[in-house]
Amino acid sequence: MVTLELNQPGKTVLMMGNEAIARGAIEAGVDFCAAYPGTPSTEIPESLARVAERFNIYVEWSTNEIVALEAATAASLAGLRALVAMKQNGMNVCSDFLMTINLSGTNGGLVLMACDDPSAISSSNEQDSRSYARYADLPLLEPADFQEAKDMTRWAFEISEKLGLPCIVRSVTRLSHSRGNVKLGELTEKKRTAKFEGVYISGAFVAAQHAALHQKLEQVREDFESSKFNFYVGPKKAKCVIVTCGSGWLYSREAVAALGLEGRVGILKIGTTWPLPEKFIVEHLKNVTEILMVEEVDPFLEQNIKVLLAERAKTLGPIEVYGAKSGHRPPYGEMNQDKVAKALASIKGLKTKARDGKYVEKAKELLLSYIPIRMPTFCTGCPHRASMWAIKAALKLDGRDGFVTGDIGCYSLGAGPAGYFQLKTIQCMGAGIGMATGFGKLDKFGFNQPVIAVCGDSTFYHAAIPALINARVNNSNVLMVVLDNGGTAMTGFQPHPGSGCDACGRPAPTVEIENICKAIGVEVRVRDPFEISQAIHDIYELLQGEGTRVMIFRRRCFRIEAKEKLQQKYFVDQSKCIGDDCGCARFCSRVFNCPGIIWDAEAQKAKIDEMVCTGCGVCATLCPGGAIMVRGAAS
Amino acid sequence: MEAGKGSSDLEQEVLSQGLCTSCGACVDICPYIKVVKDKVAVIEPCGLTEGKCYDFCPRTPTDIAALDKSVFGKPRADSSLGSYISIEMAQAKDSELRCRAQYGGVVSALMKYAMDTGEISNAVLTKPFDGALMPSSLVVEEGSEVRECAGSNYIASATLAKLNEATKQNRKSIGLVGIPCQVLALRKMQAAKHETGARGVKLVIGLFCTWALSYKGFYEFLKGKVDPSQIRRIDIPPPPANIMVVETATGDVRFSLDEVRKFIKPTCNVCYDMTSEFADISVGMVEGIQDWNTLIVRTPAGKKFIDKAKKAGVINTVPLEQTRLEHLKEASSIKKKRAVDAIRKRTNDKGNLLYLRLSAQDKKKFL
Repeated sequence: MVTLELNQPGKTVLMMGNEAIARGAIEAGVDFCAAYPGTPSTEIPESLARVAERFNIYVEWSTNEIVALEAATAASLAGLRALVAMKQNGMNVCSDFLMTINLSGTNGGLVLMACDDPSAISSSNEQDSRSYARYADLPLLEPADFQEAKDMTRWAFEISEKLGLPCIVRSVTRLSHSRGNVKLGELTEKKRTAKFEGVYISGAFVAAQHAALHQKLEQVREDFESSKFNFYVGPKKAKCVIVTCGSGWLYSREAVAALGLEGRVGILKIGTTWPLPEKFIVEHLKNVTEILMVEEVDPFLEQNIKVLLAERAKTLGPIEVYGAKSGHRPPYGEMNQDKVAKALASIKGLKTKARDGKYVEKAKELLLSYIPIRMPTFCTGCPHRASMWAIKAALKLDGRDGFVTGDIGCYSLGAGPAGYFQLKTIQCMGAGIGMATGFGKLDKFGFNQPVIAVCGDSTFYHAAIPALINARVNNSNVLMVVLDNGGTAMTGFQPHPGSGCDACGRPAPTVEIENICKAIGVEVRVRDPFEISQAIHDIYELLQGEGTRVMIFRRRCFRIEAKEKLQQKYFVDQSKCIGDDCGCARFCSRVFNCPGIIWDAEAQKAKIDEMVCTGCGVCATLCPGGAIMVRGAAS
Repeated sequence: MEAGKGSSDLEQEVLSQGLCTSCGACVDICPYIKVVKDKVAVIEPCGLTEGKCYDFCPRTPTDIAALDKSVFGKPRADSSLGSYISIEMAQAKDSELRCRAQYGGVVSALMKYAMDTGEISNAVLTKPFDGALMPSSLVVEEGSEVRECAGSNYIASATLAKLNEATKQNRKSIGLVGIPCQVLALRKMQAAKHETGARGVKLVIGLFCTWALSYKGFYEFLKGKVDPSQIRRIDIPPPPANIMVVETATGDVRFSLDEVRKFIKPTCNVCYDMTSEFADISVGMVEGIQDWNTLIVRTPAGKKFIDKAKKAGVINTVPLEQTRLEHLKEASSIKKKRAVDAIRKRTNDKGNLLYLRLSAQDKKKFL
């Protein structure tokens, strides 16, 4: 039995933040979950999918975030409890719908999990989703630890139902992806039946609906005043207080302890960050003269607190606020204990350092003593390596200074050495083909460079189709290369509309990319990128054409393929590899750059790292000496 | 040959100057140089300062006299046609082959005979039309496959890339049919200090060539006139017609040669060799006679093979009239003069003949 299913209230278990969120939803009796994969949110729907049958939950991977939110809202309107999870970029995708459903309202509990990625560890930006709560006038909760992740999620359903509004819960990478202790709550028996009633139209009485929305916000503010997720720790009547939320809470506690300031500095921790529990905050800031704001990325709480301080200036008197604006914390990147301690020390005029100043250097030295330096690269056997090489070769053969517009996926690495620096633009989902559509219409201004838009299979379904239609109907000169590896690979190989299975692993109908392309009316070819000479040839040929063309490079992600079946074992016949005497200049290990091929310094020849090699065999095709071969095969 | 040059130099001196002949000598001997259709490119600089790619190229410095010595063992006796033992008119006995071929079917007949008798066991040939305008080179192992490769289409195919592929597969006893730049490159490969599989080429039949067309321009041009996938034959009737005839399944299309000339590869203007001077045997047209070939036997190996073929009745030969021989020499000399002129126009320097290293005697004659 997985932890998520345990019906032992009070038992403490170790859980990943995202599992705790899923457990919170299960304890709330969630019925419906829709999501598009995106780090760091992906494990929430995945966790629910694992127990979907046990708890009668419908879980789907939707084609994109707005569809996910719309589908989940339907469940809510039918009286069910629904959860939507997405990474921060997904908030932009679903925001169009969000900005109207706040007006027309919801019925059953609808929780929107926004998982932010400070420092953009796995993202193309580090936007702070919290502004969407203020923007859309929706309640916002920020869990500060694993227990809160579970408990707040559960509570969010109640808030949503009470208000008839979606409730946004914001997590960050460190919370979603670390593990901590969680005390389990009760599992409730669900008795809901779906039934749609009423009218939900935004647009007919917008001003009236908007007025009602603000009333709802005032109503929830009252509830927030007494929330257990807002609390103060520290000395009574402290003059200096850290005001924090979310992940800042633990960093602040550690920093105060590390500096030995427990007796002088208090911490006011806010869990309900929009709308603010104003009375509660004012009550705790009455004797305070200095505030340090600790939160991640935007000064969201900081600005709202400053507004509050201005409004209550008569009661509170002058208070110095340190934070992002004052330069005591960067309004970008992840926070950590050190950053908080440094800010606190500077305010208090302390010289104490929270940790050895050479800590980072020492840690790096230690790490590098047993971890090889490696540039970010594609996995061994990754089809994208072959596709990128084919694109590079074809563009070079074409010779008109063509370039590639990139998109979001594993293949974004194509902007670096892994993809031979081929990608020249990377923005949001679908932007590669969208921008290429524009480049392809610049001929009357003297533009004659061929443009290739690369796009992953999952990205194709998610965001590329309208742009491809745009290219077609405007007769834009674009070659779109769909890198189809059979799933949403970067987030852990979740299925997509072409995969043939659903979120729970059951067989599902497929929507073929080539059929969509054909329906749009563009020339489309399908090729295995491992047939590398043919792949180069195809791209070259398509580059010579005009109008909108699509090349699908189809080859299943090798990490998955290798897990599913035993691959052929490749090795370098060192009697055939002539090392530096070959004209190849160490092509396989230096230029083609697959981590599965290494330079054997002792023998001065190439060598396959059999632990890493997945047996794709592309290097064997490219080796000019024919020195890379399959073990057991006749040479 | 100048030592110490590599792919970057090749790119700079040949590819970027429009001097690439698309012969394929540099292709696929390393992972960095690729060809698609007749377009060759260095995909990534390999970083090496010296390379076979540079050494093999027919447009990198080529000492004609030194190559004469390595192929024929002596200086050339004839400055316009190179070394040869005999020149005759020839025709394939097989009339069907003649029908498929461009002129007298001699090349196809000889290659088929060489394969059938085990003279060679692999042949690197070129199919003139492979479902589209672009010719495709291939390696055949059976004499019966030669027939498919009869005819010409005036576009260069990277034949030597196929040879490189064949030698990588350790194929030996190879026959090759090529145009002059390809034969020149092949001889450079065979003469190179590096051991290459090219030494496994035992029989070289060179074709006469005055120029080749660049695929892209010619394709775009033809596309507007015929369905390129339906082309069966392309012919240039003898002067003074000044036309090109494209035969398709649905009928012939004719247009002025002047329309086509703009697609001539720029490198053909600096070509010094019309008759494949370094082949074992050279074969071309006889001006004014449709179904006969000019046959130049150059090397002793070539002579031995031709004698056998004649004895076996594969080809018929008759003497080439003196006036025709003079005419051939004159045509070849004109090509050389034009090449030297074109080079001098490019370099603007009497002492710099780009790739050509000529003997004092040839310089005197053609400069």
